[in-house]
Amino acid sequence: MIDQIIQMTLNLDMPQMSVLEWIITLGKFAFVFIPLAFIVVMIFMERKGASLIQDRLGPNRSALPVFGGLRFFGFVHNFTDGIKLFTKETFIPTYAHKVWYVVAPGIGFLVAFLTPAVIPWFAPLTWWTGDHISQVSGMIIDSDTGILLMFALSSLSIYGTAMSAWASNSKYALLGGMRATAMMISYEVSMGLSLMGIFLLAGSFNLQHIVAWQEAHVWGIFVQPVAFFVFLTSMIAETGRAPFDVAESESEIVAGYHLEYSAMRFGLFYMGEYAHIVIASIIIATLFLGGYAIPFVSTDLLRAHVDIALALCLGGLGTMIGGFHLMVRRWKKVYATMGAKDAGTRNREYSFLQFTSGVASPVVLALAVAVFFLLNPMAATTVDGTPIFPAWVSIAAAAVQVVVLIAKAFLFCWIWIWVRWTLPRFRYDQVMSLGWKILLNLALVNLVVTAIIAKLVTGVR
Amino acid sequence: MAKVIQRRSLTLLERSYLWEIIKGMGTTFKHLFRNFKNPEKMQLMSYPEVEVQTPQNYRGSHRLMKRPDGEPRCVACYMCSTACPARCITIEAEPSSDPRIEKKPRKFEIDWLVCVFCGLCEEACPVDAIRMDTRKVAISHYTRKEFIADMPRLLNWDPKDFPANDAQSQKAPGGKQNQQAKQIWGLEVKHS
Repeated sequence: MIDQIIQMTLNLDMPQMSVLEWIITLGKFAFVFIPLAFIVVMIFMERKGASLIQDRLGPNRSALPVFGGLRFFGFVHNFTDGIKLFTKETFIPTYAHKVWYVVAPGIGFLVAFLTPAVIPWFAPLTWWTGDHISQVSGMIIDSDTGILLMFALSSLSIYGTAMSAWASNSKYALLGGMRATAMMISYEVSMGLSLMGIFLLAGSFNLQHIVAWQEAHVWGIFVQPVAFFVFLTSMIAETGRAPFDVAESESEIVAGYHLEYSAMRFGLFYMGEYAHIVIASIIIATLFLGGYAIPFVSTDLLRAHVDIALALCLGGLGTMIGGFHLMVRRWKKVYATMGAKDAGTRNREYSFLQFTSGVASPVVLALAVAVFFLLNPMAATTVDGTPIFPAWVSIAAAAVQVVVLIAKAFLFCWIWIWVRWTLPRFRYDQVMSLGWKILLNLALVNLVVTAIIAKLVTGVR
Repeated sequence: MAKVIQRRSLTLLERSYLWEIIKGMGTTFKHLFRNFKNPEKMQLMSYPEVEVQTPQNYRGSHRLMKRPDGEPRCVACYMCSTACPARCITIEAEPSSDPRIEKKPRKFEIDWLVCVFCGLCEEACPVDAIRMDTRKVAISHYTRKEFIADMPRLLNWDPKDFPANDAQSQKAPGGKQNQQAKQIWGLEVKHS
């Protein structure tokens, strides 16, 4: 019906789509918010990871004013930060170029919404509607341009940086912007070239095809280890994080390009940086770690045993909640021996968390067992030699695949944090020489070697 | 003779930088894992909920010592304010009512915002009247005026907070040796 209306009003040549297809196609747009949802968890992860690496506890004082103050081990700090950034004075320097100054922070943040469009979040959904096979792609934009479109979009964020640097009308900001631009130019080359090997093997720029190739053969990290290393390094440099954060090195140029920004305009830069990391993590997981694919389990096998997969997901969640329960119990004991003045309040909070997680964990585990026994994927109808499952089985399998992709992305997000708190900052010339003299050459050699081996082994391409 | 340290040149593995990065990341992960596993072994204190115990000889905020009858021991000799490099001590003298003592302070103020906590005042004092052993190091107020400690505040301390072997503190009212000291002090008055 919807497609008929659109067809009538816009006079487009639209394919016939059922209501379920329309719902899924439009619902896929919700995936653009995944990087934003990641940011909340990632800032918490960064703070806790940094503090534990440096033998300290990290920020943990802000509390929700319920039950005598729920701190959630510092998770509430995200929201207090948000309140602070939103309510601060938004200051514009007198000599700044007003229009570009205001527009610039939005660009990097906008890119975070655009890039998830070309990531395959799940295998193409297929189901039998009664007379024909319905198919919905796992990407918002199912285009053969794929990864190239993604690179084009993610490169746009440098315009935000350069524009903010120029509009601020400040020496330090301009220096930071220059450095960011130079890094962008240097590392974009090796970043693109390092991926040519895997495009050669998969034979496509479409991320869906690359993941399908990895699902059928082997993960990209095993066939292209050098490319993985070069791409990871370039991506860390691209996101401007330590050890490549020369663009905002506080010891040399104060804060770089966002020096003159305050309040939520700075917040947009801050969130844009994290969103960039999340997107980079998802791309690396997609290109080198099999994307949504579970090792040794093909999409058809997953759909045939979707009850087991869902049960395992819920079981994993239940186990994690149980682990949290044990952690709280341990920390409650530790805190009681410290002799702190607020021992009573904290004891109440930890008891609350302990009780909640202690109830939630068995409930989720019981749900997992129930799913395992009660859910029964219907037998597939075979059409043209490929098994076709009912719609709900495909959707449940897609949900499992999204969870798998997010788990892999979290692994890489953690690598970003881990590297940042391990390595000191490179000097600017070292960054340039690493980019041009080492990574670029490695990427080129890798491409040639891959081409030769691919020709020898397959003899086709 | 100066010792010449032979610098070892880096091996190929070290120059590749990658292996050393992996080793460094191993070190940080070791810390993370250890602290996650045994949070109680982290060398930290949940300040300000947990009181920090600074040592007795740490130079904290000042106090004025008291005679057994509770009067300040200070004789308003201006030695401390003369020695003070930051000039944070303000003293105004007046004649003492005690015939054995010439002067006593009418006003004794220390500006803790100006004070550099060097301890020269307690070194300079000839009668052990000013001390910095309160162990109070976090001095926080809302206005600048509150940072100026006057005589009642400097005299406001309890002998129970100081060790039993600190005889000069225990001679003050409320201290363990106060009765004894009062008797001696009173007897001397009788004889003079």
